[in-house]
Amino acid sequence: MTMESKAGMQPKKGVRRLLEIADERRGLLVVSAILSSLSAICMLVPYASVYFILRELLTHAASPAMADGAYMIRWGAIALLGLLGSLVMMYAGGMVSHIAAFRILYGMRVKLASHIGRLPLGWLNGTSTGAVKKTLEQNVEKVETFVAHQLPDLVHVVVTTVLMIGVMFYLNVWLALACVVPILLGLIVQIITFSGTKTKENIKRYYDSLERMNGSAVQYVRGMPAIKVFGQTVHSFRRFYADMITYRDYCVKHTDDFQNGFLVFKVILGSFAAFILPVGVFMLSQDPQNVAFASVLLFFLVMAPGVSAPMFKLLFLTSTLRDIGEGVERMDRILAEQPVAEPLSSQRPQSFDVAFENVSFSYAAEGKAGGEALSRISFLAKHGQVTALVGPSGAGKSTVANLIPRFWDVSEGAIRIGNVDIRELSSTDLMNTVAFVFQDTFLFYDTVYNNIAIGLPDATPEAVYAAAKAAQCHDFIQKLPQGYDTLIGEGGVYLSGGEEQRVAVARAILKNAPILVLDEATAFADPENEYEMQLALAELMKGKTVIVIAHRLSTIRDADQILVLERGKLIEQGRHQSLVEANGLYARMWKAYTDAQDWQMGEGKGSVDADEYTEQYHSR
Amino acid sequence: MQMSILNNITAGKPRALIKPVIYTTLANLAQILPFAFLVEAARLIFEPFAQPGAPLNIERLWWVCGWMVVSLLLLFVCEIPAYRSQFRGAYSTAAEGRTKLAEHLRKLSLGYLNKRDPGDLANMMMGDFTMVEHGISHLVPQMMGAIIMPVMAIVGLSFVDWRMALALFAAFPIAILLVLMTSGLQRRLGATHMRAKIDAANRLQEYLNGIRVIKAYNLTGERFVRLERSFREFMRQSIRIEGLLGPIVLAAIAFIRAGLTLMVMVGVYLLIAGSIDLITFVMFLLVGTRIFDPLTAALVNYAEFRYHEQAGERIVQLLTEPIMTGEQQPPAENDVKLEGVSFGYIEKNVLHNVSMHMPVGSFTALVGPSGSGKSTVMRLIARFYDPCQGTVQLGNQPLVHMDPEALLSRVSMVFQDVYLFQDTISNNIRFGNRDATQAEIEEAAKQACCHDFIMKLPDGYDTLVGEGGSTLSGGEKQRISIARAILKNAPIILLDEATASLDPENEAQIQKAIDTLIEGRTVIAIAHRLKTIRNADNIYVLENGTVVEQGQHDELVMKNGLYARLWKLQQTTGGWRLSS
Repeated sequence: MTMESKAGMQPKKGVRRLLEIADERRGLLVVSAILSSLSAICMLVPYASVYFILRELLTHAASPAMADGAYMIRWGAIALLGLLGSLVMMYAGGMVSHIAAFRILYGMRVKLASHIGRLPLGWLNGTSTGAVKKTLEQNVEKVETFVAHQLPDLVHVVVTTVLMIGVMFYLNVWLALACVVPILLGLIVQIITFSGTKTKENIKRYYDSLERMNGSAVQYVRGMPAIKVFGQTVHSFRRFYADMITYRDYCVKHTDDFQNGFLVFKVILGSFAAFILPVGVFMLSQDPQNVAFASVLLFFLVMAPGVSAPMFKLLFLTSTLRDIGEGVERMDRILAEQPVAEPLSSQRPQSFDVAFENVSFSYAAEGKAGGEALSRISFLAKHGQVTALVGPSGAGKSTVANLIPRFWDVSEGAIRIGNVDIRELSSTDLMNTVAFVFQDTFLFYDTVYNNIAIGLPDATPEAVYAAAKAAQCHDFIQKLPQGYDTLIGEGGVYLSGGEEQRVAVARAILKNAPILVLDEATAFADPENEYEMQLALAELMKGKTVIVIAHRLSTIRDADQILVLERGKLIEQGRHQSLVEANGLYARMWKAYTDAQDWQMGEGKGSVDADEYTEQYHSR
Repeated sequence: MQMSILNNITAGKPRALIKPVIYTTLANLAQILPFAFLVEAARLIFEPFAQPGAPLNIERLWWVCGWMVVSLLLLFVCEIPAYRSQFRGAYSTAAEGRTKLAEHLRKLSLGYLNKRDPGDLANMMMGDFTMVEHGISHLVPQMMGAIIMPVMAIVGLSFVDWRMALALFAAFPIAILLVLMTSGLQRRLGATHMRAKIDAANRLQEYLNGIRVIKAYNLTGERFVRLERSFREFMRQSIRIEGLLGPIVLAAIAFIRAGLTLMVMVGVYLLIAGSIDLITFVMFLLVGTRIFDPLTAALVNYAEFRYHEQAGERIVQLLTEPIMTGEQQPPAENDVKLEGVSFGYIEKNVLHNVSMHMPVGSFTALVGPSGSGKSTVMRLIARFYDPCQGTVQLGNQPLVHMDPEALLSRVSMVFQDVYLFQDTISNNIRFGNRDATQAEIEEAAKQACCHDFIMKLPDGYDTLVGEGGSTLSGGEKQRISIARAILKNAPIILLDEATASLDPENEAQIQKAIDTLIEGRTVIAIAHRLKTIRNADNIYVLENGTVVEQGQHDELVMKNGLYARLWKLQQTTGGWRLSS
């Protein structure tokens, strides 16, 4: 279905897509275009004024004192009025287009963010948040350049050019043609320089080398402790220096490619007079005493910069357009991702047993590399019991846990809560039914109190404090500068890993959902506080359906059911004692585990039989 | 003050501006030529009308046409060095500057670097330097160029007629004054805008990082409102800054360009009074249509210039951050000593008068509740920071006088957070010793128990590790970092014992790797699980930044102090079980 809808849509690209985006605020943009056109016309008034003054002077050239002073001063004033009108109009137009632009940016950001909120969580795991953030911040920002600057500039240039050329042709065809020639030349040079295949190739190389240099820089900074400890320098680290030099060389090459085109464009635009004057001189030589023609020639010479000045704004048009287009494409790629499907009506589960029925799942289906992560897994986690997931890393324990909140959807089979397929539950109902405590806790930039109250937004303060006490965080929170009102993060305090974990547990306690999915590693994020942490977890688990990812086998000896996973398959199932007696993978893991617990650093190989452990794994 | 601006925009290399400015000035001077010929042409056209009977000097007009074309070619030729010095110079300066900044970063204390957001630093090296590039290549030369021509014009025209010249530029100082006087307002608006922008960025980061929690707790609505509000505020501030700064710039432009009208009025008055001749007036009129464009451009450039200057300023500030000093080579002995060390990160001391001694080849463990100062002791030994009081010594020499790089070559660190580089596994291990052969690398990998899993990777030792090592499990990354350390073969090992429990499935393998690594060296370990350090030669028990107990495991248990309490507590947890 995904494939079909993608093929059917035919997304627009480049400038057409940009115009489509701009179209969202068509009303504002039309107003802005009108104001921008009026401003462009007003901008020509000072040039016209100078022309009228010159003509007056020309007619009274023989006796300047006879010239109509009041008339000329009037034109001087008109020039000022024209200028002021143009500036006011420019401001009004600019404000309208900026309001349109910033609203569009705002709209796009909100749209993107809410879309990301509806995507399967797996999507963000596969993408770096840095890249997504860059798209929402910088790439979106560039649309502003297009809507607020380039569109009005384009209108300005087109209006000015068309109007002027119209007037020029009306006044004198030949001189007008002499004026059109440099305009066309300039445009042709622009197109040739920016569209050559060699140029395109160089631009690609330029972007590639920029990307490589950026990559090296990020790693250089992030890996600074390693860089220092291992005595690396800019020159020895991963060709970082070479990357910078390559980038510089491509930049230089890139600019060398544009040099002549750029300069020709610049010189031509700055020198309309050089094209007009020869034609004018030729025509003047045919009829030297013609005052009318002489003044028309003056008109052309004076007005020329009025045409060429706005055209300078087009200098970087093509390259910036490409830049913006690239950013919009990245944005559209995010929008093209399919959100999690919501059922039309949410069903209500009758009990809180969690059942996996022939569940298969592969990350490859989500467009990521990898084989089948789970194949045909079936089990029942009963309400009020502890079900433990055990297995070597990569066996699929976390995948099982991640499928329950629909971070991904199963490829085959179904997961049911009290006989209702979780895909038939609205995400709100599903999330209200299940609570999660994962290893990577996340606290918001907010007060400690609010961070716990997230668990149940309308909880009373007493309930929040009770949850905090149950999660063993009350004491350390009391010691914070502002107690429960202490801000977490920038400008506030940073909690230790163990403290963050306990706040997360407090949240889950407050939420009090009937099903609990838990990563046992949570318990020893902070060995000093391990004991308190374990008390908190025990509190949390009372009377729930508990599914726990177990790392330290000692903690799950009393679990009601242990599921042993290996390479995505469920290979053993039962209670601790029966599994140890079965003498399979679990029994071997149990032995290796108990041996590792006796490890003492620096004691040598005596106490740890790691070789045997390794063999057990790799001989399989 | 002007100098410091130029210093900032070039990230500390104002000399980089000399060539581009000279060439751009030359090119701008060349631009005066075609204009001069245009004025001459106008004069020639006016001549027959001004003096009836005088013939139109067609021949001379043709000459002017010819000269005009020649001057265009000349202009083109003059633009070439300007263009090249602007761009090429900018890119070279940026490349040199980036190298310098990168080397400077490396010499700063890790303590300082830890306080900085690495994303920010990377952005400084890339993004800020791009702005510096733009400053050197476009802004400064263009502004200089834009100012040169009007200045030349003022000077030149003053000789022709000072009254007219004065009228033309009379309003200019008002425009400058207006911009300077409102610079406070501009900065304030800029700061508010920047705050809104940063706030939006932070809310977005929070939203992306916390999306799991947001979904799990059905906060898509509430948390989203916070994000949405910050986007809205950012939009409002963006519109506000446009709306308030726009009139200032436009008013300045109006003042500058009003010179044309003023000049026309003065000109008409003088002309009718017979005080100037017609040609002079014509010349001023023509100048009046051209002279203001570059000035207006310079004004618009100026705002951009100040913005870019801030990027350069950030770089200059970082470059002035003091680097770690010391030239002495560390002595041959490798025993570590702390003598009366006190240290605090900001104001409050984390360590108070701590003394320790770690003899060569001994195994020392640091134990204590979180926040007791264990990690700080480790950081001081590796000289992430220098102590506020007392000395840290290696072979009886204080660290402060030692070359930081030479010191670090003596130390290997195995901590919980491992950073692998986006490179092959081989090269990541080779970090330990640049000259290691492939055989040596594989030997180290075998000792660190990574050989087997490496061989199972698609390209074995040539497999690329994702950025930050994201494609390997925590335990695998950990073992590669141990292989690195084994290859480095440093006599002093700093170790965080919790490393071993990061990946409980592979705990035994990591334990084995650690045992290989620490054999026969001076080992200083932070211990969390007390069982693992039972046979340490010496255990320092820290609490609230002071050493409260010291000795071997059995002695400490007998003492019945803090260590004994911790030990008992951990014995209890060991038996903890999950059950409903």
